[in-house]
Amino acid sequence: MSDDRIDPMNLTAQLHYNAAGNPPSTLPESAISNAYPGLEFDIRNIWRRLLVGIELHESDNYVVSADRGHENLVGRRLLSVGDHDVIGTVVGPIRPGAGSAPLTSAANPDGVMMLEWSNSLADVLADHVGQTVPCLFTVDPAPNPVGKPEELPDPRFQVVELEVRPLFAGSAATGGYLPVIAEELAGPGDLTRGLCSPWQNDYRECACYYWAASRPDYVNVEDTAMGTTTGNHWFAVHREPREYVLDDRFDSRLVSYDDLFQDWQGKLRFIVGGNDAPEHLDAGTEPKGDSR
Amino acid sequence: MTAGRLFEASAPVHPDVHLLHTDAGPRVLIADGSRLFGVGQALFDRIDAARRDPDPRVMDALLVDVGLDAPRQIDDLAPDPPPVRALSLAVAQKCNLGCTYCYAQQGDFGGPAKNMPEPTAFAAVDTLFRDAAPGERVNLAFLGGEPMINRPVVRAATEYALTVSERTGVPVTFSITTNGTLLTPEDGEFFEAHGFAVTVSLDGIGARHDLLRPHRDGRGSYRRVMDRVAPLLAMQRRMQVSARVTVTPLNLDLPRTLDEFTAAGFHGVGFSPMLSSPTGQGEMASADLQVMLDQMTECGEEFVRRVLAGQRYPFTNLVTALREIHRGTHRPYPCGAGAGYLGVSADGDLAACHRFVGDEDGAMGDLTGGVDDAKRARWLTDRHVHRQEPCNGCWARYLCGGGCHHEVIRRGRPACDYIRGWLHHCLSVYSRLLAARPDYFTG
Repeated sequence: MSDDRIDPMNLTAQLHYNAAGNPPSTLPESAISNAYPGLEFDIRNIWRRLLVGIELHESDNYVVSADRGHENLVGRRLLSVGDHDVIGTVVGPIRPGAGSAPLTSAANPDGVMMLEWSNSLADVLADHVGQTVPCLFTVDPAPNPVGKPEELPDPRFQVVELEVRPLFAGSAATGGYLPVIAEELAGPGDLTRGLCSPWQNDYRECACYYWAASRPDYVNVEDTAMGTTTGNHWFAVHREPREYVLDDRFDSRLVSYDDLFQDWQGKLRFIVGGNDAPEHLDAGTEPKGDSR
Repeated sequence: MTAGRLFEASAPVHPDVHLLHTDAGPRVLIADGSRLFGVGQALFDRIDAARRDPDPRVMDALLVDVGLDAPRQIDDLAPDPPPVRALSLAVAQKCNLGCTYCYAQQGDFGGPAKNMPEPTAFAAVDTLFRDAAPGERVNLAFLGGEPMINRPVVRAATEYALTVSERTGVPVTFSITTNGTLLTPEDGEFFEAHGFAVTVSLDGIGARHDLLRPHRDGRGSYRRVMDRVAPLLAMQRRMQVSARVTVTPLNLDLPRTLDEFTAAGFHGVGFSPMLSSPTGQGEMASADLQVMLDQMTECGEEFVRRVLAGQRYPFTNLVTALREIHRGTHRPYPCGAGAGYLGVSADGDLAACHRFVGDEDGAMGDLTGGVDDAKRARWLTDRHVHRQEPCNGCWARYLCGGGCHHEVIRRGRPACDYIRGWLHHCLSVYSRLLAARPDYFTG
């Protein structure tokens, strides 16, 4: 071990050690948690196929595909499973200081929103696993959110009986459950589909508020005689003029999603001490080649 | 390293930092959070200079400078009394052995001999489950005296606890500490069926054990205990049968004891020095503790040899210490006594632990009136290691917790050198094993 090296050995040492060069946000006590959609796996995907015969969107009460016999449900919305609603009414103040009112809009006239599956379907799983339960769907395809009717029956809605799959795989040996998610719910790759892709998506997606914890924002900053500063947005395609372009993914002065998908490693510059690293200073003016 | 060297190397210099030279390199232990670091020699020397500097700000500044500071994990405030999740029932305040050093004064705690009636045991079980939420786990322990004198209540309370467990969805685990003389194969089957942790008090091999743990008429008990424990050792699958050795000046023979009990098939073998007995008999003096530390490290070296060879060696003291060091366990108390763990006397009085049965110092209410939370809160405030001397200046205070409350209240802290020396050794062993067999900690 070199004389200046520090090696955190036990678990608490590893947890609390602020390694040289790491920002405070790398420590658990000061980190911005990233639970959505998650860097390791996306737990929402386990709920997509909880109901035998249909596949739901992981973050919407929308049927994306169906097995034979249930094709007519594709594109429709699921509103309740057994006694459990999977949507909720959205209320809140419309202007500062106002009281709560239903939050409706042209695209959401009923003012409803799907409840996160882990909340809405956990009790369904607990109460009805292995059983068939009545599920309430819209009769027609519904691209926008739809609320529940006041009363049933209602010709705009239909009840379909669907079976609730077990979350865990069964053991052929004991007949009990194994501590493994059933493959019918999440096949290989399902849990990691749609994970974060910071360089291509998240740095672009999250403006300067979220991933800003670990990415540069306002760079090449210099004081002016006016007492203000000039500098660049990290995403600025060109470093001149030296101005901070407010984040807007349609503004061509900033790198776009397409730019990042095609050449993130060429577009995102290393920042050292708040400024573009020397090897990147001329990067914007050089023709792209294989040398980097 | 000899015990004498361990005493020197582990002597307290700075309350927040301890330094070690190990076979695997220089190490720094930050007391708060029990954080262990490997460092280069230059940094080791800087920290060593800082910990000897009379200005405490020098150490603080250095730790910040090199990134070894962290938010304080333990402050001066005692926690609110936690839910009681473990009870030990003194089902029999009587004993058929006459061990001279016994904290329970041959089983009756200095009062009339008595058995716990079944309704009292059931009321204790109700208390244990009362506030537990489904998914939380509780533990029911049987002690004494000798608990097997009151076998019917041990069995009835176990079965009643299982009934309540099923009704409430709160899992329960069981443990019993026995002198082993009354065990039967049927007891073994019962313990096996319910996954008991069975601890048998054994103070050495043959005559050494007999000297310390005789029957009341003076006859030895070793042969009888081993004969009675043998069927349990053979049948243990879910149950775990361990030996607990109370170390006095008369049975300082740890390596041989450990080897014999390991060969006999005990799941674990643990040693604990006798620091406080009602009569003073059997208490370990400083010189005895030095001998014991030498023998503990000898056992530890054998443990390392076995682990490196991929073998199991059930030296409980070291197995536990390595696990806690790896986790970085840090706590302002030595155990859960008076907090989440209480003892219940045969009469239904609650005490800080099994040792405080019948003792006003550790009284915590009774089963009829309920747990006395005001007394628990006062206990947690008074017993916090920040209020203990000389713990405040000691680097080992969050690993040791200040020592057994019962022993400290009775005799003080005669074993600090021993405890620090042992922890220093364990930290060294941890460093070596982590380098040589990292799988031991992750497997």
